[in-house]
Amino acid sequence: MLELEGLSRRFGSVTALDDLSFDVPAGQVVGFLGPNGAGKTTTMRAIFGLTDLQSGSVRWKGRQVGQDERRRFGYMPEERGLYPAMRVGEQIEYLGRLHGLNGTEAVTAADACLERMEITRYRESKVETLSHGNQQRVQLAAALVHDPELLVLDEPLSGLDPAGIEDIGQVLVEQARAGCCVLFSSHQLDQVEDLCERVTIIDHGRLVVSGSVEELATSGARRLVVRIEGERTADWARQLPGVSVSEISGGAVRLVLDSKVDSDEVLRAAMRVGKVTEFSFDRRRLSEVFREALAGEPSHEVLV
Amino acid sequence: MKYVFIAVAAAVVIAIRVSVFRIRRRRRAAGEHGREMDTERSAATRTRSRRRDLADSVHNLNRLGDVGTIAMREITERVRGRIFRVGTLVILVAVAAAIVIPALDKSSSKLTPQTVGVVGSLSPLARHVVRGVGSADQDSVTFVSEPSLQAAKADLLSGRVDFVIVDGVEILLDQPVTSSSSSIDTTLVENAATYLGVLEAYRTAGLTPAQIVHVVGAKPVAVHSLRPGSKSVARTTSVIGIVLLFVMLTQYCTWILIGVMQEKSSRVVEVLLATVRPIQLLGGKVLGIGLVALGQAVLVVAFALVVAKAVGSDLLHGTSTLVLLCELLWLVLGYAFYCWMYAAAGSMAERQDQVQTLALPLSIPILFGYIYSITALSSGHADLFFKVLAYVPFTAPFCMSVLVGLSQVAWWQFVASVVITIVGTAVMATVAAQIYRRAVLQTGARVHLRYLFGGKAAH
Repeated sequence: MLELEGLSRRFGSVTALDDLSFDVPAGQVVGFLGPNGAGKTTTMRAIFGLTDLQSGSVRWKGRQVGQDERRRFGYMPEERGLYPAMRVGEQIEYLGRLHGLNGTEAVTAADACLERMEITRYRESKVETLSHGNQQRVQLAAALVHDPELLVLDEPLSGLDPAGIEDIGQVLVEQARAGCCVLFSSHQLDQVEDLCERVTIIDHGRLVVSGSVEELATSGARRLVVRIEGERTADWARQLPGVSVSEISGGAVRLVLDSKVDSDEVLRAAMRVGKVTEFSFDRRRLSEVFREALAGEPSHEVLV
Repeated sequence: MKYVFIAVAAAVVIAIRVSVFRIRRRRRAAGEHGREMDTERSAATRTRSRRRDLADSVHNLNRLGDVGTIAMREITERVRGRIFRVGTLVILVAVAAAIVIPALDKSSSKLTPQTVGVVGSLSPLARHVVRGVGSADQDSVTFVSEPSLQAAKADLLSGRVDFVIVDGVEILLDQPVTSSSSSIDTTLVENAATYLGVLEAYRTAGLTPAQIVHVVGAKPVAVHSLRPGSKSVARTTSVIGIVLLFVMLTQYCTWILIGVMQEKSSRVVEVLLATVRPIQLLGGKVLGIGLVALGQAVLVVAFALVVAKAVGSDLLHGTSTLVLLCELLWLVLGYAFYCWMYAAAGSMAERQDQVQTLALPLSIPILFGYIYSITALSSGHADLFFKVLAYVPFTAPFCMSVLVGLSQVAWWQFVASVVITIVGTAVMATVAAQIYRRAVLQTGARVHLRYLFGGKAAH
């Protein structure tokens, strides 16, 4: 388990991390969310000692993280980093060796990794000649070559086509199933929802919410999806007390109900407008969790 | 004049290397995607087995740990590069030329033929003396009997003979030896005249032919010098060495700078520093490129010695070899001293166009030391300021090498300079590692000097 405690980092007058603490349990894929500038990248760099912290500690299995621990971590930075003119296979081997594999192990591990990422045919190519998607695969292979105990990925899915997202997502899930800690940041919330068992949301360098996707989806106010024939707006619902409109898409109105609201009242109000074709409760979506968390409503809501 | 020529040649070598580098960059930028993919795939099997061998041999170097792994990557990537192979070839050709051309020049002057017309009789002893004078002067003398003075004059005017000896007591020339249009060897004529006069004097003094032979055959007394070696040869060697020192120091320090800059700009440094310490990454790079530099320098020196032996150059005589070895040592020391600052400069750059700006201030002391050294060598004299500079680490690699070449330094002075440079290197490395550690991970914004030396980031 990775434990971050009280991380603080200031760049001049800008506060990047403000007493940030959260855990990443083993065997789960954890999504790391937050708007631009929330401090996600700084947090990830802090795990690898790539940024000086004013205060706070990073612990792995209860021990302060040092070079020996980091050797067993895998990192994929946001702005990809590989030697442009070096051959793919040698590059992966080299990084394997820097993570403690010996020469022969590194060759074997690199072969296995390239196979797994389906880029074996590019083994002798230079990285700069590959497409963006394939470079991304090489980058992930570089983070995986030494079979890390912790995998930290900064925006691993950005700029990939659906097949690439599917493949890389699959690898992350497999890795977690094998007992690895996986922490990855993303802007695409629907992908996070599909992949993650847990999410951690931060803003302005502070923790906003952290919990399992299941709990976050079922907790909080009830969600109601109502579709009325011929009605494209949600004006009728806005007048109801304790009801707010979360989203309107394709004629379906997504409502958030206060705990005091009786859903029968809502149904009756809807039937007065027209013929109700859909009326169902739904789970809270991650995008709603994200939006509501950042809106500051449940700012102290930390679910474990 | 010769030294100026060599300095110009060095500039040409650098220009060629820079242009090779540029061309290669441009070609890479243009992209040769398809071609590379095909050739690389076909070579894949071969490379794989080679790679396994390499991996095993590399394992031995791994006792050095991460630094060794990083150094090994530098070595394989650099040696594989075309820029290194072409560059080495250019240097070897230049060195061969610098050794072979003077040697050829010398051996061709040995064979200046001189034809001497003889009117009347000339004793075998006199012929022997003239021939001896000729060979001492690197001329081969041939005698031609002239039937009469008239015929001799005609031959002289037509240029068939270079000069004429009349009855062993008179020398006849076409034009005075001082005339610039004269093709004959001035010293030969003057010496022949002197010795024929001496012979004549012996004869009139009443010496018997046997006594004359004895006197003429006298061996010169032995000449010993207090200090060994031929200074002019050591000086030539020194010039070649200084030029190589300059070329290689500039070349490899720039490699460090560009290498660090590329790791930073490609962001690969983030991945590397997630597992190794900055000082390991920097140390591995310095060690790897340093070993490539040393390997190239040793190859060049060995090649120079072999070529020198093959063509019988003076390079192997006297102190020349010692001078070469000193310069090899100073290449190592100079590289060790300068490479850290170049690395620190590289860690502040993110783009190719910043490289020039950052490298310029660092190259000024190198350039200054180089030019000053060449000047001192060509004048054969080192002034006091020059001698002081031989103890300043920035210029010591050049100035101390020159003092060795000019034999103007005692062993303890040499050692003192080495020690000062090593201490200077330690200081440089500490400061540079500090700058590197802070600057190499800071991307996007300009790196502030205050931050590099311990202050807080100011943006």
